[in-house]
Amino acid sequence: MHTYEIFLKKDGQEEYRHAGSIDAPDDELALLLARENYLRRAEGDLLWMVDRTHLLVGDRDFVAPNSDKPHRDNDGLLVAAHRKSQREAQ
Amino acid sequence: MGRTWSSMDDFEAFLDDGGMVEVDDDMPDEYRAAVFRFIELHANSELMGGLTERDWIPMTPGLRHKMAVLAKTQDEIGHGHLLYMVAADLGVKTRREMLEDLFAGRSRFQNVFHYPARTWGDQVAICLLVDGAAVPSQKAVYKDCSYGPYKRILKRIIAEEGFHLRLGEERVLKIAEGTDAQRAMFQQSIDDWWWPALRLFGPDSRPNDRLARWRLKSEKNEVMRAGWVQKFVPMLHSYGFTIPDPGLTHDAETDTWTCGPIDWEPLKRTMAMDGPDTARRIAEASAAWETTRWVRDALDAAPAGAVA
Repeated sequence: MHTYEIFLKKDGQEEYRHAGSIDAPDDELALLLARENYLRRAEGDLLWMVDRTHLLVGDRDFVAPNSDKPHRDNDGLLVAAHRKSQREAQ
Repeated sequence: MGRTWSSMDDFEAFLDDGGMVEVDDDMPDEYRAAVFRFIELHANSELMGGLTERDWIPMTPGLRHKMAVLAKTQDEIGHGHLLYMVAADLGVKTRREMLEDLFAGRSRFQNVFHYPARTWGDQVAICLLVDGAAVPSQKAVYKDCSYGPYKRILKRIIAEEGFHLRLGEERVLKIAEGTDAQRAMFQQSIDDWWWPALRLFGPDSRPNDRLARWRLKSEKNEVMRAGWVQKFVPMLHSYGFTIPDPGLTHDAETDTWTCGPIDWEPLKRTMAMDGPDTARRIAEASAAWETTRWVRDALDAAPAGAVA
């Protein structure tokens, strides 16, 4: 038995989204079970499935450093403060 | 690896902050066990409910409703399937262990699936009153659920249960427009199913309910139960049916219906696996599990990718 992760996408809408998982003995039955359990009422137009053991996972520790890089953002506050002070001076 | 918490206080502070727990988190054992038990009970109930639906496929009147029952059966079995995946990922039991425990009578399922559905009227009452209790219960869990995988799968399940409830409301309309015999049959079904469905919400919530503390429940049982009474009493009255509750009261000023005293003994019996139809239901599900064993064995024995 393999565990597959299921991703669904609607035509023209956003990206593939994770929907859940399913156990199946092989790829063919996995696709069939995914359709019958996750796509019962046109929840998507396209289906991706991947054997869970084939997923390459970047865990929280790996991803975390990039959530603390303020130099990659600009909040615009400096310019906003300048404009405000100009308006007030008028 | 996921997140860790140094103590239960830390974990609860995280939950109080609106934190969502994911499967790879190192959650406290008590939380893991409670979430698992909750989802396993839900999964078992979906599966046992699906098996009742299946019983009625050949006997459902009319092609339109027969097809709807086919779809509902597939939905319920599918919900069981989805929930068993979410539960298995918690690492407490495998899906097969959960199924084997269920069919051996070692784990529980909800009270309403311990009763026999004898007539088509019973099926209509179940589709209205039981699905009508399941939807608000599931919505109350979904609303603020702290366990991410369960919350996401609940969204899918609630959407489908909504179809079932609308189907139930349509069936009531049809049966109310039927012959005197059909109306009498449905009145009997209301009499039989009103109280089991009402007891589905359980006794009043305790103030120290851990499931509420950990954001698995966001509404008190008695509040959901009162909402259910308020919804279904006027609906059934409008079709000319009566409610089997001598203690039912109506506050004319606020137009509020309140149920009389509730006998909790039948709920206790079903929770002790001793309901009116418990033994037959377990035996039937268990026999089906046995007769399909060869399919599982064949699938397990097939070399990977042999079919594809």
